[in-house]
Amino acid sequence: MEFFLQNLINALQWGSFYALIAVGYSMVYGVLFLFNFAHGDVFMVGAYIGFFVSTFLLAADLTSALSLPPSVTLGLVLVMTLIISMFLNSFVGMLIERIGYRPLRAAPRASAAITGLMIGIILETGNLAILGPQRLAFPELIQTATINIAGVSITNKKILIVGVSILLTLALHLFVRRSKWGMAMRAMAYDYVVVPLMGISTNTIALMTFALGSALAAAAGILYGVAYPVLDPNMGILFGWKAFVAAILGGRGSILGAGLAGFLLGFIEIFVATIFPSTMRNLIAFGIILVILIFRPHGFFGEPHSAQLRL
Amino acid sequence: MTTISASWPTTRQRIRAALSKLWQPYRPVPLLGWLLAALVAVGMEQLVGLPLARTLGMSKIPALFGALVVLDQPALIPSVLLFLILIYILPVGIVARFTAPFTNKIAARLVSYPLVITAVIHLLLLYAVLHIWCDISDYRVLVARMAMIAIILTLSLNVVNGYMGEFSCSHPGFMALGAYVASVFTLVFFVSENQFGEALVPPALGPFLFPLALILGGLVAAVGALLVAIPSFRTRGDYLAIISLAFMFIVKSLFENLEIVGGARGISNQPNYASLPVVFAWTVLAIWIINNFVRSTMGKALNAVRDDELAATAMTVDTRKTKMTAFLFAAFWAGVAGGLFAHVLRYINPDSFGIRKLAEVLAMVYFGGLNSVTGSIVGAVGLTMISEALRPLEIYKWIIIPIMLILIMIFRPTGLIAFTEFNVERLFLPKDKAPEGAEDATA
Amino acid sequence: MKIYKIFPLLLITIILLGACAPALPESIKIGVNAPLTGDIPKVGEGTRYAAELWLEETGGTINVGGKDYTVELVIEDNESKGESAAAVNTKLITQDEVLVIVGPQASKQAVPAGAVANDLETPMISPWSTNPATTLGRPWVFRTPFLDPFQGPVVANFVSEEFGYTNAGVLYDIASDYPKGLAEFFQMGWEDIGGSVVAFESFTTGDTDFSAQLTKIKDAGAEFIFAPQYYNEIALIVQQARELGFEGPIVGSDSWGSAELMNLCGDACKGLFFSTHYAAEGATGATKEFIDKYNAKYGYVPDDVGALTWDAFNIVKKAIEDCGAITGDIDADRQCVRDAMANIREFPGITGNMSFNEEGDPTKCAVIVKISDEGLFTFYEQVCP
Repeated sequence: MEFFLQNLINALQWGSFYALIAVGYSMVYGVLFLFNFAHGDVFMVGAYIGFFVSTFLLAADLTSALSLPPSVTLGLVLVMTLIISMFLNSFVGMLIERIGYRPLRAAPRASAAITGLMIGIILETGNLAILGPQRLAFPELIQTATINIAGVSITNKKILIVGVSILLTLALHLFVRRSKWGMAMRAMAYDYVVVPLMGISTNTIALMTFALGSALAAAAGILYGVAYPVLDPNMGILFGWKAFVAAILGGRGSILGAGLAGFLLGFIEIFVATIFPSTMRNLIAFGIILVILIFRPHGFFGEPHSAQLRL
Repeated sequence: MTTISASWPTTRQRIRAALSKLWQPYRPVPLLGWLLAALVAVGMEQLVGLPLARTLGMSKIPALFGALVVLDQPALIPSVLLFLILIYILPVGIVARFTAPFTNKIAARLVSYPLVITAVIHLLLLYAVLHIWCDISDYRVLVARMAMIAIILTLSLNVVNGYMGEFSCSHPGFMALGAYVASVFTLVFFVSENQFGEALVPPALGPFLFPLALILGGLVAAVGALLVAIPSFRTRGDYLAIISLAFMFIVKSLFENLEIVGGARGISNQPNYASLPVVFAWTVLAIWIINNFVRSTMGKALNAVRDDELAATAMTVDTRKTKMTAFLFAAFWAGVAGGLFAHVLRYINPDSFGIRKLAEVLAMVYFGGLNSVTGSIVGAVGLTMISEALRPLEIYKWIIIPIMLILIMIFRPTGLIAFTEFNVERLFLPKDKAPEGAEDATA
Repeated sequence: MKIYKIFPLLLITIILLGACAPALPESIKIGVNAPLTGDIPKVGEGTRYAAELWLEETGGTINVGGKDYTVELVIEDNESKGESAAAVNTKLITQDEVLVIVGPQASKQAVPAGAVANDLETPMISPWSTNPATTLGRPWVFRTPFLDPFQGPVVANFVSEEFGYTNAGVLYDIASDYPKGLAEFFQMGWEDIGGSVVAFESFTTGDTDFSAQLTKIKDAGAEFIFAPQYYNEIALIVQQARELGFEGPIVGSDSWGSAELMNLCGDACKGLFFSTHYAAEGATGATKEFIDKYNAKYGYVPDDVGALTWDAFNIVKKAIEDCGAITGDIDADRQCVRDAMANIREFPGITGNMSFNEEGDPTKCAVIVKISDEGLFTFYEQVCP
């Protein structure tokens, strides 16, 4: 039981990153019907932005400036880093949309996917060219405190990460379900031909989708930096592709589905490594995903649809 | 506006007119003429290339048309240009132009023979050109072989992503299956002193039985494709994309866990069977068969399925069978390409068949053009060459190439040469009797 | 139309000119096949820096048989890809006509590149590759690191003697050649001296969460963890192990040895041990000189890649000097350098004294390093084969 709980907590943390990234994938996929293959690298950029913002904030020495106790300052820095980085990264997303996707609105979807892939490569290589090959150590924004409950060690970081990611996913879900903008997005997902005729600008909605997705990716990047404080330019590649799997597993257009699928992917990966020989992890984890898709070809929350390729 | 542009041609129109005028004498040159001209050019390079290069201040014949030299030592740009003009452009221009009456006569004669003979003559000429060109340096041999393997891969992926209109990510997986099966086959049967023990068959037989290894690799890849195809083609949608992606991860992980084939260490020391003529022959075979496939009823059915699945069903197309066949067919060729790749590089490990390979192949398909055999050839050769030529840029190479691809996607969203038919028969026709009007329309 | 008449004339002139073209200036070209982009750019940077530092150190010339030859480095990027490394080697050999090649570093590039060098009969020395296939049956290919069958048991013996443990846990990357090989050789060595490996866990390149594996190792009752991983992964492994409540030591291999380890890992890594080629702190003589120069020029203490590349270059230099004369006939010169390299005995490298065996692999000593409380890599003990 202890063993199970310990792994459950580890899986929750691991799944949080997949969930946050998958949600961004899923939104773009749901609304614009595009595979945004640059999203994994947007996550990477978000983590780097978080690194620079937090380093800057720490250097600004808020403790003495605002005469706050050190622990409160750290918390403040974390919150400010999250907010500022999410804000900045949403511009990265919008820029990508403007340069890479808007000119291809009328093109086959697959072409846009290739553009995304190439933008991703540019982001990775650009990072390497500008910052050099050394990896960066993400500053410690929370002092680790391990809580031991019945033999299960939980750190405050884990609680924070899981909490923030669930909160953000739910917030986004509510935004899409309840707000006027969200309604416009859902309408666009429903019919991208007629909805623009109703006075809703495709470009605005597209920009917003990318901005929201990238903001969440930045949050994921910072939380990732808190949990695994080693940043390198290629960190987003594998994450991106796996989150892509999670996004589609969740079902088209379902924010909650993507989030849940992200957590599920985390669970599968952790538990497969725990129960089976860990060498077989990828083999079995992806095998399970294949089986799930055989029985639920439209994902968990997706509706059967006939995706008409615009070729 | 129209009247003004009629009386005052714009710069663009003027350039076009000038180019058209320059091209005028070359209109009646048949393919045979071009091949003959190329043969003369590479022959000249063989004979006088080195002294010419030395005279111009270069230490060697520029291997990839001077691209490497230009980026390394910009001071040599004029010499490189002069070399290219003297060795390639002028001879090709002169020979192609002045032998046109002669080559047209032969081409006209060849029309009366069966297509196979005409094709073989052209191919032999093409191979001669390639062989002499590659004879200059081993670097060219390697690049040429890699480019040809890329052609097979790109073509086979184009069948799925272009002709069928699905998005498949499993090509590196199929390639890995083909590469491992073919490698194990040749190592078990023809090579002694390795992890598989002594050779079972006299190694002298190896080169002759090598096709068997490749075909076996292709077939295993096709069986792997069946695993992807069965769940993915039950419904239309993007599920192929992730099922195939999952498949790619599974294959990679499988080989990492198989100790018998070296695990992460991979397999090395494959026999050197994939020489230039072998790769050339397989590439020609692949182009020929894939081209016939996509032009067959099956290929047309495939296009119908892509454009409108419902309508296709109504026209009695068995959509599921069509998709399955095409997917397995594509996987077979990816497997063959993998086998060739393993024997060119003579080392494979699971890491070679990951996401980076996927990005590479996808880029080639979309760069060249969807739904087009010519496009795939252009994409594969183009990207391989560019990637070699930009080597001196080091890290910036991987910024330049993506930018280039993005621009192509923006200005030609389906790739450079998309949605064209590759008509072999028309390619071989003499050009002097072609109606002028028709030529103008295409120019 | 005039050009057509001039053309044959022009061509003849050129051939005549070419026949009496001046001989090229005499220089020695050394090719460097490095992963500047791709998965391991830091390794590429270390290679390039060591190469450039070496060139500076030699003053740009090598004296062979009483004559100074200018040395020219041709550095090419292999993008961390096998096929690209093979293409780079082919280009270096046939286009740039290098005398000898240093690199590639990682085995997945060194194995195919070694095949090319061997086929085209050009000496190649890989500073970092540990896969036996790199040099096996290839008289033209050499390397400078010791091999895993040696290093694995060294660590096993050290832990047994130092701590007296019997239960080991191993955590390694299954998708990467080097950690996997080393993990297996450690397991063999550990079991040979009577210990038992209670958990043999793996992950895949690019993973950053090791909690499942570490939980398993902890629950299996391992007293220490052997992690033959790269320093960026070590930072995460050590931190996560501590967060999960694992208190035992974590022991590593030469891949830990980078100045970046302490940046990334911080306090968590202090007091740990790993085996490597040399200890940067407290080094003396040529080793210290190299470290100081490197540090002064590039701002950080060189890692094992830098040190091994440096040694590889000095071996190349020695082989060229031993050769006695550069004839200008590239094939003969390459043969001469290869023979000279194969005959090198007791070469005093900064990573230990080296002699090549018939496979082109060196026999050399390993060093156990302890990470001090100041975060420095201090010499602990030396183990020789």
